[in-house]
Amino acid sequence: MKSRLGVGLGLILISVAVYAASIDSVTGDDIKPADAKAANPKPTDSKKADAQEAKKAEKKPARKPSGAELYSMHCNRCHPERYPTERTAAQWKTIMLHMRVRANLPAEDARTILKFLQENSGR
Amino acid sequence: MKTRSLIFGFAIAGCAIRLAMPPCAEADVSQDEFNALKEAVRQQGEAMQKLGQEVEKLRQTHMTDEQKHQKDMEEIRQLREKLGETQRTAASAEQKAADAAVAAQMPPVSRVPIDEATVNHNFLILGDAEFQYAKTDGQHGSFLLADFAPIFLYRGGDNILFEAGFDFILQNNAPNSPGSTTTINLSFAQLDYLFSDYVTLAAGNLLLPLGTYSERSAGWLNKIPDNPLARSFLPGNGVGAELRGAVPVGENGKLLNYSVYGVNGPSSADGTGNASALDLGGNVGLRSDNAVANLHGSPSGGARVGWFFPYKPHYDFELGLSGQSGEWDNAGRHVWSAGVVDASLHLGPCFEAKGEYIRSWYGTDDHGNVRPDGWWAQVGYKLAGLNLEFPGVNNLELVGRYDFLRDGLGTRTRRYTVGGVYYLTNTLLFEGDYEFLNSNDPSQQDQFILQLSYGF
Repeated sequence: MKSRLGVGLGLILISVAVYAASIDSVTGDDIKPADAKAANPKPTDSKKADAQEAKKAEKKPARKPSGAELYSMHCNRCHPERYPTERTAAQWKTIMLHMRVRANLPAEDARTILKFLQENSGR
Repeated sequence: MKTRSLIFGFAIAGCAIRLAMPPCAEADVSQDEFNALKEAVRQQGEAMQKLGQEVEKLRQTHMTDEQKHQKDMEEIRQLREKLGETQRTAASAEQKAADAAVAAQMPPVSRVPIDEATVNHNFLILGDAEFQYAKTDGQHGSFLLADFAPIFLYRGGDNILFEAGFDFILQNNAPNSPGSTTTINLSFAQLDYLFSDYVTLAAGNLLLPLGTYSERSAGWLNKIPDNPLARSFLPGNGVGAELRGAVPVGENGKLLNYSVYGVNGPSSADGTGNASALDLGGNVGLRSDNAVANLHGSPSGGARVGWFFPYKPHYDFELGLSGQSGEWDNAGRHVWSAGVVDASLHLGPCFEAKGEYIRSWYGTDDHGNVRPDGWWAQVGYKLAGLNLEFPGVNNLELVGRYDFLRDGLGTRTRRYTVGGVYYLTNTLLFEGDYEFLNSNDPSQQDQFILQLSYGF
């Protein structure tokens, strides 16, 4: 009696399993190993980055002197101030060539002073 | 009993399996209904086909209308353009009529020059002029037109400059002749070519970089009318070629500047090696008998290196070291050499100090090795730095200089100069000073000088 009941129950279970297999099921994606690394960074990377940022901040170049500052630095050493409005832009170009040779000025400083004089000459 | 249980179990399993299986479709439509449905579908198909044909017709009609619309828009645009042109022509005609009416009443306006900064060539005259009154102890006071010194600059491009400076001096022909003579000296004439940011070639009659006084002096720059005594040991200019330039050091304006040159050099006025024949400025290549020759056949070489340290605008220090050496007598037996240490200091816009130590040495036929040396130091202070409210004080600068000289042949001179500069404008200066002389040379006497200088 018991064995026949067990066979019957077994057949019921088989039929339920067949019915369940006929229904679609949805499964989730696997977690990739790279995501795990990003979520858990090593503690030493941030200290290195801070040190590099500090070095960069120390190495920032000083501000270059402006045309007016260079003018007072180089030109007022020898003669009273000549006002930019005294000459035209083309005349300042000629004069700065002469002064660059006479006073042995660095080329970049001479160009900066010339730009200052031409921009403020008004003509 | 067994059989009944078995049958019962199979029945239950069969029911379960049957429930698990998908349901079967059952057909309950009759043949007539199917045929009717089939006829309905066929009729719908025919109707759809007709609708499609009508849609196609409507689409073609729409395209034709669209093309007509585009043509109409194009015509409208052309008409608008013609209208605008007609309006502009009418406005221009009205403006011309108005301009003609105005021009008939006003004088012609001069043309505005093009942007001069783009002009590649440029000619310019700079320079200075000095007018003096001088009174030397033991002599009559006198007005002097001391100097008119124009500088001609011609820029032939971005890297080429020709520059020349002259001194026009009036000289009394007395005591031997009446009248006066105008003396013209070519103080320098050189062609400059800027090879690069760091190298410039200068060739011609050069202002020599022995110290800085020669290159940076002019009547309106010197603040004291007389040159420093020790400068008489050095040639101010020489004919030759030079490479010069400046190299920045760091970002704060510090720089190193250099000059290296070769010139004909000092020579002998009479060809001998006697000390009195030494001529510092006469060896210019072209002789009075039209021969072209370096009098002693060997050029002199020299150089200067300078270091410039700016702390901030108006606060700076410069130190320079220079020298020159070469033969001087025609036989080439004797060498003339000189060395200069120069320095300048600025502490603010009102205080300036500068000076040079000069030493030269040369061999002679009659006095052996002669070693003249000397130094000078000058300070200036603009009273504007005191922030006083008295009128005129802010335009006054007090200056003083100490000179010491030993000519190597027994003459020793000390000179104390005190004076002031009044800045009438930034380029018009009124200078006055008194020179106290202490010398074993009887020709050196105290002197009072007033000078009006103008830089242009």
